[in-house]
Amino acid sequence: MSTQTTMKQLYIFLIAVLLLSTSAIYWGENTTVPAAKKALDVEAMTVEDALLMLGDDTMIHYMSNVDPKLVAVGEELIFNGWTTRDGKKTDRISHYFVCTDCHSVSREFEDISSQSPEDRLNYAKEQRMAFLPGSTFWGIYNRTSFYNKDYIKKYGDLVLNARDSLENAIQVCAKYCSSGRHLEDWELEAIMHYYKSLELKVKDLSLSENDLKNLRKYGQLKPEERKELIQKMKDSYVQGYDATFLETMPREERRYGEGGDVANGEFIYEASCLNCHANGRLTYLILGKNKLDARMFWRNRKNYKDKSLYQIVRHGTFSKPGRRQYMPLYTKEKMSDEQLNDLMAYIKKLAEK
Amino acid sequence: MKVRIVALAITTLLVSAGHAQEVQETFNGTRILNGHSTETLKAKVLQFRIEHRFGDMAGANGGIDNFFGFDNAADIRFAFEYGITDKLMVGFGRCKGTGAPYAGLLDGFVKYRLLTQTSDNRMPINLAVLGTSSLTYAKKVDDLSLIQSYPEFAHRMAYSAQINISRKFGERVSVALMPTYVHRNLVNTDDVNGLFALGAAFNVKITKEFGIIGEYYPTFQDATLRTDLSNSLSGGVEWTTHGHNFKIVLTNSRGFGETQFIPYTYSKWIDTDANGKKVAGQFRLGFSITRNFKL
Repeated sequence: MSTQTTMKQLYIFLIAVLLLSTSAIYWGENTTVPAAKKALDVEAMTVEDALLMLGDDTMIHYMSNVDPKLVAVGEELIFNGWTTRDGKKTDRISHYFVCTDCHSVSREFEDISSQSPEDRLNYAKEQRMAFLPGSTFWGIYNRTSFYNKDYIKKYGDLVLNARDSLENAIQVCAKYCSSGRHLEDWELEAIMHYYKSLELKVKDLSLSENDLKNLRKYGQLKPEERKELIQKMKDSYVQGYDATFLETMPREERRYGEGGDVANGEFIYEASCLNCHANGRLTYLILGKNKLDARMFWRNRKNYKDKSLYQIVRHGTFSKPGRRQYMPLYTKEKMSDEQLNDLMAYIKKLAEK
Repeated sequence: MKVRIVALAITTLLVSAGHAQEVQETFNGTRILNGHSTETLKAKVLQFRIEHRFGDMAGANGGIDNFFGFDNAADIRFAFEYGITDKLMVGFGRCKGTGAPYAGLLDGFVKYRLLTQTSDNRMPINLAVLGTSSLTYAKKVDDLSLIQSYPEFAHRMAYSAQINISRKFGERVSVALMPTYVHRNLVNTDDVNGLFALGAAFNVKITKEFGIIGEYYPTFQDATLRTDLSNSLSGGVEWTTHGHNFKIVLTNSRGFGETQFIPYTYSKWIDTDANGKKVAGQFRLGFSITRNFKL
């Protein structure tokens, strides 16, 4: 018997003992609870615990517990870029960005197995959320692959060690994506605890009642049934978000808003563009919902320059000495060509053209 | 918890009308042309400024002989300015000085934006207060009839205080009023130490990036005093890009800073020559280039 198999069984045993002992305490306090309510509340379980319970391998960044104090520190680092340590304000991770400028910390899809930009936009509209270029931190703990697909075009070898390691991915983001610095060990640990606090629960997955039932009686499942259930669970959420970089749309393919959804476009302008450009929050280019700004974009609609939305959305700008803050690009998954056309439809309307 | 509330505000409410409240870009940049605007640098932004005023374009000292003023420099200023908060900024610079009377100037200022115009007109204006000072370190001269003799160290200093009020009408037109008090510790006998001026300016945006600007700083003075002096009248165009703001200005004033261009503008757009004939020419081109660095 291999060591790995032994470890798996040990985990299953320990989790089972933990669950049994918890149940025992519960029964001890109230012996009149009906038998039906004593069943395993699998929906409240974390996806990681459920997968381990079924015999799945541990993830590289497996964490056995969440420390609320570290979660609070990690949250501050994510939102502010700094925290207070030994009574002193710590050095900012980046002078230009905080993590939440590009990443949200909440659910972004109704069905979290989807990567469709349309589904993402619809959910953002319903929830009145920002429509950001980065993937959400909610559930990032459960992902196994980062900086996928075309990110190698932008960051080269830097992403090779970050693709299968959440810790390394965080470091690449802190140093390069945010034009900042590498994290110290305590910062990385705090952020990992914060991510762990945002991990997926079984109830977040779209599992059928039958799958949940099987999960509750996992002890009675055959090995192949367990494998099948593990796979079903993993198919219920995204293991690693794709990132397809698109070239600037050729002029002859641009529709300049024709047939576009103006309401969608207005939302994208507000929830994407103005998220950074309103009041010049992150940039020197101040944008608002006004005719002059819209006319600048409309005037440049046929160009292959930064002021053309067709160009800037797909390429962003680059960090360079003297101006480290830059605009990240929107991948195909984060903004579709159709949505870009919706945005142009709104720009056209705002420009009164 | 506090962090989470801030986060929620950012991630979920940005799409609401919250960001549309404050009117933006009443003027592009912290200066209108010679004088200040109500705008301040954002917190932790360091701005490097290079400002230049050439020699007379025409008239007795202009024309082709000095390539319409390009061969001469009336004044040159290099400065670092910094946003301490989004409302409070400071600046420190060094000017060549016009030599009439100041040369070799160090200058500093503090500007605080008290009010910001809102789109719903609950606050109809922008208002900033400004305090500037300048110190000349030029070697003093022996002729005690000249200001440059600087009998005491304090005589090298001059100050100004300004209330800067502006309003943007619609998307394109902005106007400003700048009541200013300038105090110089040492002046000529035909001058006053404390001088009031009421600046006025406008900015018309042709496009998002390109605008036309006018600025005038009339002083209130005893007609029997300061008879050689004129008021600063300037016109210009500006071109704004990300992180840069270029201004090209035509002005009759020569020096930079409120302690120079308000009390010591000698040049006139239209002057009278030796024959009593009116000629134009004592105005000059100038430019300012700014570069922002986020610290």
